[in-house]
Order: sequence, then structure tokens, then C-alpha cells
Amino acid sequence: MSVKVISGDHAVAYAAKLARTEVVPAFPITPQTLIVERLAEFINDGELDADFIPADSEHSAMSIAIGASAGGVRAFTATSSQGLALMHEMLYAVPQCRLPIVMANVNRSLGAAAGIWVEHNDSMAERDSGWLQVYVEDNQEALDATLMAFRLAEDRRVLLPVMVCLDGFILSHTVERVEVPGQEEVDRFLPRFEPCTVLDPAEPKLINPIVPPEYAMEMRYQLDRAVDRSREVIAEVDAGFGKAFGRSYGGLLDTYRLEDADFALLTLGTATGLARAAVDELRSEGKRAGLIKLRFMRPFPFQGLREKAEGLKALGVLDRSVSFNGGGPVYTEVAAALCNVPTIVTGHVAGIGGRDIAPDHMREMFALVERAARGERVRPVTWHGLRGEME
Amino acid sequence: MSEMGTIKDMPANDMFVSGHGACPGCGMAVAVKNIMRILGADTTVYVPASCLVVISAMYPTSSFRTPFLFTAFENTGAVTTGIRAAQRRRGLRSTVVGLAGDGGTFDIGLQALSGAAERNEDILYVCLDNEGFMNTGIQRSGATPFGAWTTTTPVGKKVEGKREFKKDIMAIVAAHDPPYAASLSIAHYNDFIKKVEKAKSKQGFRFLHVLTPCVPGWRSDSSMTVEIARLAVETGMWTLYEVEDGNARTTYKPKAMLPVTDYLKLQGRFRHMEDADIAQLQEWLCAKWYLHYGDEIEQPVCAMLEKGKRMRYPHEEQLHFV
Amino acid sequence: MGIALYEVRFHGRGGQGAVMAAQTLAEAAVIEGMHAQAFPYFGAERRGAPVTAFARIDERKISIKSQVYEPDLLVVLDETLLDVEPVARGLKADGRAVINTRRLPTEIDLGVEVECATVPATTIAMEHLKAPIVNTAILGAVVRMCALVSMESMREAIESRFGEKFGEAAARTNVAAAAMAYQQAAVGRCKGERPLSSREEWLPTWQEVPIGVALGEGVKGGVTVGPGGARRNLTGSWRVQTPRYDKGKCVRCLRCWFSCPEGCIKREEDDYVRWDLNYCKGCGICAQVCPAKAIAIIKGGQG
Repeated sequence: MSVKVISGDHAVAYAAKLARTEVVPAFPITPQTLIVERLAEFINDGELDADFIPADSEHSAMSIAIGASAGGVRAFTATSSQGLALMHEMLYAVPQCRLPIVMANVNRSLGAAAGIWVEHNDSMAERDSGWLQVYVEDNQEALDATLMAFRLAEDRRVLLPVMVCLDGFILSHTVERVEVPGQEEVDRFLPRFEPCTVLDPAEPKLINPIVPPEYAMEMRYQLDRAVDRSREVIAEVDAGFGKAFGRSYGGLLDTYRLEDADFALLTLGTATGLARAAVDELRSEGKRAGLIKLRFMRPFPFQGLREKAEGLKALGVLDRSVSFNGGGPVYTEVAAALCNVPTIVTGHVAGIGGRDIAPDHMREMFALVERAARGERVRPVTWHGLRGEME
Repeated sequence: MSEMGTIKDMPANDMFVSGHGACPGCGMAVAVKNIMRILGADTTVYVPASCLVVISAMYPTSSFRTPFLFTAFENTGAVTTGIRAAQRRRGLRSTVVGLAGDGGTFDIGLQALSGAAERNEDILYVCLDNEGFMNTGIQRSGATPFGAWTTTTPVGKKVEGKREFKKDIMAIVAAHDPPYAASLSIAHYNDFIKKVEKAKSKQGFRFLHVLTPCVPGWRSDSSMTVEIARLAVETGMWTLYEVEDGNARTTYKPKAMLPVTDYLKLQGRFRHMEDADIAQLQEWLCAKWYLHYGDEIEQPVCAMLEKGKRMRYPHEEQLHFV
Repeated sequence: MGIALYEVRFHGRGGQGAVMAAQTLAEAAVIEGMHAQAFPYFGAERRGAPVTAFARIDERKISIKSQVYEPDLLVVLDETLLDVEPVARGLKADGRAVINTRRLPTEIDLGVEVECATVPATTIAMEHLKAPIVNTAILGAVVRMCALVSMESMREAIESRFGEKFGEAAARTNVAAAAMAYQQAAVGRCKGERPLSSREEWLPTWQEVPIGVALGEGVKGGVTVGPGGARRNLTGSWRVQTPRYDKGKCVRCLRCWFSCPEGCIKREEDDYVRWDLNYCKGCGICAQVCPAKAIAIIKGGQG
């Protein structure tokens, strides 16, 4: 183990290197570039034995990753925003083919009113693709979650691709203290990749031909069950990681001072850190505030949330993206999960287009949730930090 | 393996088996069957969206006895890159071949093709050119020839058929300076066999461009598929050559140029063409003919067209014929 | 005329025009003031391969969009399909059938004994259209069989659909083909002796489907699957003409072996060839490329 002061992007690159990734197809996009540049350096310096394949686009990068994974080797790539959108078509081929590709997505706003800054609408748009999605809070978690992603993806009970989502710039370009595990420790945690299905003329396999209606529905349900069952393996891998490296993250979700809380906020990504501070502040004022940190958007912890929300009078949900006229995607999922429990669920949109989520915004959110917990009527969805009155 | 030169030298072990769903008389099936015979069992096949994937790989069976993968339309150059990288790392020597249509090569797949060619990936890219998006029901592609009817270049009252000339994909590939690129015809057997064999034996990016007549798309008789491919060469609509390490070489030279109408008249897709359009196509062909075969021998059909001989062919600089 | 929901299923081969037939019947019904719909089974097969199309006719607006499982009327555009598929499955006991054949209804074993019209639609189509596109001829027989729509409405429907797509001349010849079929159709009762068993299929549960949309070579549920498994599709049933080989004339050039799209020409040790007619689709390329005229193409699908 060594301690380094590195960016979130570099933390991910170190994880991909320690995972002994074998093929790295890549196409540059801000703010993902530091990941693939660092991996190219590792490879050209001989520190990582892998093929770096400079693809002609993200669509091709994911296509190359698919070929490599179907060819039987460990493949890793990284992208962001428009790049992820360009990959969209290929993303959908991966889970059904059960290819355990690991990819980092550095969250960045997508589409017009474009910028290079953080927003979660890029990866949220892919939540129905069958990829598992984990959102991280800091650079250490970025490294740890990436390492765990390989173990999770390649587990025979899972065999699904994993997308590690980290907030653009706030993590990607921010340096922090990060403990980088040693290679031997990682080798013990992450066994060699043993592919399940391989394109090998010695044992010919037909992979992903056209599938007529007689078969596709069974395949889709099988995939649905695989995504659902990955919940157990996520818990197991998280516990195993804790044993090996002394850090664990709660699996699908984590909580902070939730035990006796009346109201809480649910966050994902870097906003979680700020929310922790807000909870501490409210607790010091004698208010029973708590926090749920959502780590996995897929599989979504429907059951875990119901358990955690028990006893909560109100739960606010922070979204760093918008599902237009319906609040944010996390809000609607949480509301669906809690539709049969008495907890009031409120939506909170903030940090759009890279706008900073300031401590004042966070206090405002908790204040609203607290009012909802007291039985006051509040808006179902509130935008925080917006100029002009909401309609 | 001894060098193949004729049909008799070919292995009889079919890797693309009977029972596929191609239309009777499908030129693409002829090409794929023979390419797979020559490539043999130690081959991994990628097929993008195309007629081929539909006719040969419908769950739960496939006509390919080799490993097979399909994912999408535009990524043949990319997926094959990934497969080859993986197989190289696993110590496999298998030929990785992408069998794409003209739509998947000239149009939607051009970018991934260019990427793979530029990186000189160790793959064999085959373009099965039936001059249109036939799988979706005969739409125009960049490979559709001038004048041809397709469902998106209909013969209307104002505009009749395609108004643009066929894109020169070989010149585009040649501009990437690959180790090997060649054009093939299913009617020129020995030339076909030698080129597939050569492509198989070489390392790096290899490109084979095969003309594959399409019975419903070209509105031709199913028995005439090979004959139409032969006439394509004899009229100059298709030229047989190879580009090897930067040098272009004609591999078959017709004795004399047949008028393009000999080719057109067998195909319903050209039936509507009027004299002016035929003359325009002939003129374009003459320029192409002299580029490929030289102008020492005056072709009677071109001599009638004053401009033909002096017209500058657009890719003269890229194709260094020797 | 007023009718309750009437369901029609068409069986043909790619290229025969089964879908156009269904659409034209629907249009004729609409011309008569009824509601109608027509749609194909959206498969991905090719010219010559079995295809299915459906039509529904009702006085009232039709809301059902599912396939037709128990047709009132069965239309068979290619009689060879009777040997390939359980064409008559689900046909109502009081249903009717229209079959393209030179034989009489009493000579046809459909698998269900029903009122039946037979018509030599291929001959009629060749005469009028110079192509085996039998859809309009069969529609003439459909009118004759069930008086679902009048011949006048059918004529108008054919003119509308074919005229729009292929021009006035095509509309005229297609109308003529339908009219002749109407005259020539023979009506009687067909036999119902043939068993209507479906061909063997592997239909795994979601737990049984191998993961990753991946299959190796093997047999599942009695069916060959995986690489090379396509050999179980005996495409020779598509054939309407058949090669005949004169070994005495063969010069062993193997051009036919190279040029056969199906790979159904087998190369012997001595470079003579033989045909596996289980797969021959009858394209005729082999005869065309033969330099010694050792191969002839004979009408009909029998070997």
C-alpha cells in the first residue's frame, strides 16, 4: 500500500492498472481524459501489460471492448457525457451478452446548454441498459469501487458490466489523499479473469445472432433476474473488500446518523459529503436529521430503502439531473420504492450543469424535508439555487 | 498449406453450411461460402447488421461453423479489433474476419473501418457489395451505381434513379496504405481464390471488396448472378485489382470493353435508363477503364465519347497503378 | 353485407405477394363499407421462404392486433407449404380454404375437412403477369369461395393498390388475373386426414436459456443448435425448379460447385459432383455456369 495525493481520474486509472486490465480502448473526452492518459503512460512505461487501442469514437471504443471481452480478456474503458451517449447503442449489447466490462463514466452534462461540468443526466439516461451503476463520493471510493467493479462484474453469479460514475471535475480533477493498494493485495482480492463464453475456434460459439420472439423474452427476464441477484454479490464483495483493505461502503447504500432520525436526505455522488456536514450541524442543533447515501442506481435497492426509511417521517431525494416535468430520476425511483410506506418523499434538484451545491442549498433542502416531516405541505419537487420563483 | 490457384485446390470442407435463408441465386452467399472454405476452421467471424446476419444467424442456429458474433451495424472495424486483440493476448492465431455489406462499409461503418485500417489492425475486412441496403428492402447506399432504381431512388416523373456515382471505397481504403486490399468477382474464380488466400496469409489490415449481385435488389434472374458479375468486369463496371504495400496492380484485364448496356439489360433496376443517362454512365466508365487498363488500346465504345479518355479520374493520385 | 369479425390467414412464400393479397382483401372490404386490417408476420426471411400474413374484417372497428390463431378463411398461395408446415392449424371446423393448385378440392388433404376452392393461380399469373406472383389470382378465388366482398370491390381494390405501386398497366393485368381465377376456381370439400403436428422446436424456459445469447454446437430439445445448426433448415422445400445432372457430359471443372450459393453441390473424390436436394433452392446458377451443358433445369421441385 502507498499513500498518494491524486485526482479521481488517476485513482480510477490506478485501479484499472491494479486490476491488470488487458485491453483499454479509449477515446478522449473532458473530463475523462486523465484516466486514459494515465493508463497510456502505465502501458508505455511497461508498468501495465495491456493493449491501449485509440478508438475512432466512443462507439468504436465500446465495440472494441465488446470484441475484447467476448474474445476472453479483461476490458476497461472510460468516457463521459456525449461519449456515453454515442456509446448508447453498444451499451445495450453488453449486459445481454453477459460481458463483464468495467467502465468509468465521469459525469458531465449532456446535450444542449452544453458544458463540460458535472450533471448526472448522462449516466442516468443509461439506467435501463442493464449495466450496474455505482456512484462514488470521493477519490478513495473511486479507486475502491473500480476495483470492486471488476470482482463484481466477473463473478459467475453476476457476469454483468459495471459503470463507475464519478462527478466531473469535483472528483475527476480534484486531488485528495488516496491509499493505493499494493499489487499483491489486489491479486489476492481479484482473481484472474476466467471468461464464461469465448470466441475461440477450438470450441466454436454462436454469440448474439438475431433472436426471434420465441426466445428474446426469456432472455430478457433472465437478465432482469441477474441484475436483481447482483444485490447479494454486491454486499459480499463489499464485505470482502473491507476484510482485505479495511474499507467498506455498505453495498447498495450507506447511512449516516439515520438510526433515530425523523427526517433524512438521500444523496448520491459528491453531494453526500456536504450532506454529512449538514446532518452534523442539524444534530448539533438537536434536530433528528439523517442521511442515506445511495451508491448503486442499478441494481436499485428497493427493499433496502424500505427498511431504512422505516421510522422516517420524510425523506428528501437529491437529484443532480432532471427527468423533465417529473423531478429527477432518483426521486421517481425512491418514490416508487416507498409507495406503500407512510414516509413522505420530496424531490430536490440541485447542482445542474455544474452549478456548485453550496452549504446554503443543502441547509435549504434539509429545512424543507424537516417541514414535510412536521406535516407541512411542501412542493413535491424543488429546484435549489434557481434564480426566479418556481412555477 | 500449399498455395491455392484454382477451384481444384480449394478445400471442400464447408464452414458456411447449407440451410441458410438467402434468396435463391444470392451472390453474397456464393462469396461467403467460398471465402469461408478458404479461411477454414481457424477463423472467427463478425457480421454486422446486414442480409448476411439475418440469413445465416437466427437463434438458435447459425450457418457458420466457426465462432460468430454480431452486435450492431457500424462497428465491424471496431469489434474485430477487439476480438483480435483478445485472441492475440490469449495466444490464438485465428483469422478474425468481418463480413460486412456495402451499407455497413461505405456508409454507416466507414468511420470504424477507417479507424481499424489506420491502426493497421490485424484483421480481414470483407465488404460484400450488393450495391444497396438490401436487408431493409433495397435502399440506396453510397455503393449504388449511377442510374439505378432503389426504393429511395425511385424512378419518378422528375428524377429517375440514383443521380450520384458509386463511391470508390477501394481508393479510400488504399489511402490508409494497408498491407493488402483487393477487389474480387465471384465469376473470376482463380483470381478470387488467389486473393482470399493472399489476404488470409498476410498480417495487418486486409480488405477484400467483392461484388455480390442481388436477385431481388437488382431485379435479375436468379440463374444470372454469376454471369452478371462476369459482365460487370467485362464492361468495366467492376475492376479486378489489388493494392499490395502501396502498389496497385491489375489482376485481370478484359480483352475488350463491352458496352455497359450488356450489363444493364440483365437488370430490372436499370430498365428505365434513358440514352442520356446511359451515355453519362458510359463516359464515367471509360475514364475508369483507362485509369485501370491504360489507353494504348482505344476502346470503340469509348472512342464515341470525346471526353471520356481525357477525363481526370478522381483518385488517380491515390492509386499508384504499376 | 353485414358480418361479425372474420379472420383470414394467408400462407405463401417470400416473393409470391401474400402480404399484398392480405392488404388488397382488406381494402376491398373497406370499399364495401366495412372495417378491415391486414399485416404480415414480421419475420426476416427471404424470397422463397415461408411467410404468413393476416387480415381481419368486421362491420365494426377492429381493436385486436394479435396474430390470427383460429382463421375463418385460410388462403394458401403455395401448395408445397402443406408438406412443410401445419398450415391449417386452428382453422375453424366451419371455416373455408382457398388453395393455389392444379388439383381439385377433393384431391387436397388440408388436414381439416372444410369447404375449399382450388385454382391454378400460378398458371394464371404466368399467363397474365409473366411472373409467379399469384396474389391477385388467388384473390379471385377468394371472392368466389366466400362472397365476403364482391368482385367489383375486389377489382377496385386491386386497381387501387397495384395501380398506385406499379402503374395502370399492372393494375389491368392483375385485375384480369383475378377475374380469370374467379371463373376457373373449383369449389368442393377437401380432405382432413393429414396430421397437423408442429415441427420440433426447442422452447426453453428462462432458467434453461443459456446465458449470454451464446450457444455451442449441440442438440437441445431434440433440435440441432449452435454453429452449423442451420443445416436443420431444409431449404430445398423452396424449390420450384430442379437441376438435372448429366455426369457423362461433366468436365469436372467444379464451376458449379464454386458457384452454388447453397453449398448443396457436393464434390466427390474424383471431382464429379452430386446434389443434396434437401437444400437446393433451384436458382439455376449451376446450369448457367456449366461450360459443358451437363446441367439442365427442370420445372418442378421434385428431384
